[in-house]
Amino acid sequence: MSAGPHYAFPPARAYALNRCLYAIKSDAAFRARYVVDPEATAREAGLDDEDRAALVAGDRDRLVARGAHPYLVFMADLRLRMERGGSRFEHF
Amino acid sequence: MLVGAFACAHTPQLLIRPDTEDRALVLRVHAAFARVRVRLETLRPDAIVMIGGDHVEAFFLSGVPALAVYAGASCAGTFGPYAYRYPIHEPVARALVEQGIERGFDLHYTQDAPLDYAFYVPLHFTMPAPPVLIVPLHVNVYLPPQPTPRRCYDWGATVGDILRARPERLVLMASGGLSHYPGTDRYGDPDVEFDRRLLDRLRAGRGRECAALTGEDLDTAGNVELRTWVTLLGAVGDAPADVLCYEPSWHHGNAVVEWPV
Repeated sequence: MSAGPHYAFPPARAYALNRCLYAIKSDAAFRARYVVDPEATAREAGLDDEDRAALVAGDRDRLVARGAHPYLVFMADLRLRMERGGSRFEHF
Repeated sequence: MLVGAFACAHTPQLLIRPDTEDRALVLRVHAAFARVRVRLETLRPDAIVMIGGDHVEAFFLSGVPALAVYAGASCAGTFGPYAYRYPIHEPVARALVEQGIERGFDLHYTQDAPLDYAFYVPLHFTMPAPPVLIVPLHVNVYLPPQPTPRRCYDWGATVGDILRARPERLVLMASGGLSHYPGTDRYGDPDVEFDRRLLDRLRAGRGRECAALTGEDLDTAGNVELRTWVTLLGAVGDAPADVLCYEPSWHHGNAVVEWPV
């Protein structure tokens, strides 16, 4: 990801991947299921083997190269970290 | 009538601070938000008309409106432990939809889309007491192709005309920016120089020039969200901005600005 815009038209072939990232970001029930079993939940969302591997590995560059929207990758990751409770957050 | 105009950063790290964020910087942005809240308590608006860029929350790929008006009874959103619901000023929302379409803007409207944090992070810190109604206006900033800055400016000019003709006391607030690149390999390198030049231009009362920016300019500068500010600039014209804060963090140019109207 160097040439081209930071945010590009989401390719149609990446719809399932973007739909899954959107669900992790915005659907609390889906996110909770994903945290318990990422593999099965990503499979349920219709992701192929390569998308699933990139998602479960949290590999941003691979996800974006496969058509994932960078913002969705970013916020899905933040919401997973909030859900898993590993990081410390101060609430205002 | 239009009684005030503001622009506010909305990054969620201002609401929920991870330990990657400088606490003192976050508190300085909160102090600027507090000044906006005091101003709103002085201005006593009947509603805040808020221009926000949805973060693929209300509008996913099932439907991507360029410009939209929330015209339901209320709107709501949640983020972690926070849950917000705001009543909408329906007569103003309807005026914006009906007169906007009449004037050539093919607007989308919604009575049940969820509300994105672009709206409620600034409202969390700036909502006056007692609270006032809101009218959220959506501008597509993250799903290309986005509306051009020129289109946003023209829509803002129309929004300004509609609001000035209303009997209510109304405040315009843009939410977004400044430079940041979430999810990209430039996340840790916001274009602070672009932001500083922009703020100088706004202080000098040259907001109109922002309508000439291109979508490519905004993407390059990490300022896709500036479309919400450009929309507001269409309404306030060349009023010289009062920059209440500019606090660039390692990934985000946090700005809070007021314009005289």
